[in-house]
Amino acid sequence: MKDFESRWENLVRAARQAPVSEDVTIPYGFATRVAARALAGESRPVWLAVCGRFSARALWVACLLVVASAAANYLAFAGGEDEEQSLLDPVSEVLSNS
Amino acid sequence: MADETFDLAGCLDRVRARDQNAARALVEHLYPLVIRIVRSHLPRRVAEEDLAQDIFLKMFTRLDQYKGAVAFSHWVSRIAVTTCIDQLRAQKRRPEFRWADLSEKEADVLDSVLTSEGDVAVNDGVAARELVYKLLDELKPQDRLVLQLLDLEQRSVAEISASTGWNPSLVKVRAFRARAKLKKLFEELQRKERS
Repeated sequence: MKDFESRWENLVRAARQAPVSEDVTIPYGFATRVAARALAGESRPVWLAVCGRFSARALWVACLLVVASAAANYLAFAGGEDEEQSLLDPVSEVLSNS
Repeated sequence: MADETFDLAGCLDRVRARDQNAARALVEHLYPLVIRIVRSHLPRRVAEEDLAQDIFLKMFTRLDQYKGAVAFSHWVSRIAVTTCIDQLRAQKRRPEFRWADLSEKEADVLDSVLTSEGDVAVNDGVAARELVYKLLDELKPQDRLVLQLLDLEQRSVAEISASTGWNPSLVKVRAFRARAKLKKLFEELQRKERS
């Protein structure tokens, strides 16, 4: 499109002519509610907020590590069990030697 | 802000001392500034009062970080703008722009913009504004914000830089990138027939 700029300018010029709501009256009780919530929330220590923020991420990272390590060691676990069983079973040991 | 006699410094000191009346007065004083920002960047499906409340709560939480390096209204504006961007970002899915989703008037305006060379009729201002918002919704939140401030609200690069905290070069780059994306969208719409 060669004349995109002029078409876009044409559109926003028309859009600027639309009336915009200029009523900025604060709703009844809004300031009181917000002030009360804000000051009530401030009693929470900063370190607690930081811990809270990072603990969720840490939990996800920990879960990922568990899954990754389980996947990485799956074969070792699966193979290791057979080997251990044969070591503890003298009959199978004798049979395999004969 | 209308109230020129408002003692901002004194009010901030009292808020820091946990004076609830001062906190209420501060909210009342800043409400017009915050609600204008919220209205112009309001993500769809979010109530303006809820978003304004989030902005004020963030402001109070970070009040100790305000050192007076910039005007307090600019500092609050940045919180308001970033909160709106975060909300827009949270609505990750941007629906595909389709002719079928436009109202009859919006489709007429778009048709006229895409096909004719003339101006869009003045009495289509409301439809044009809705259409512009729908087109801007297709952009990333930061790109959307830059074009809205620059083109729709006709703010200067310096003003945008002050209210967002982005440096002027970044503002220009974002505007350039956003216009390129819009141009692509216009081309796609031109290819697709109006149903």
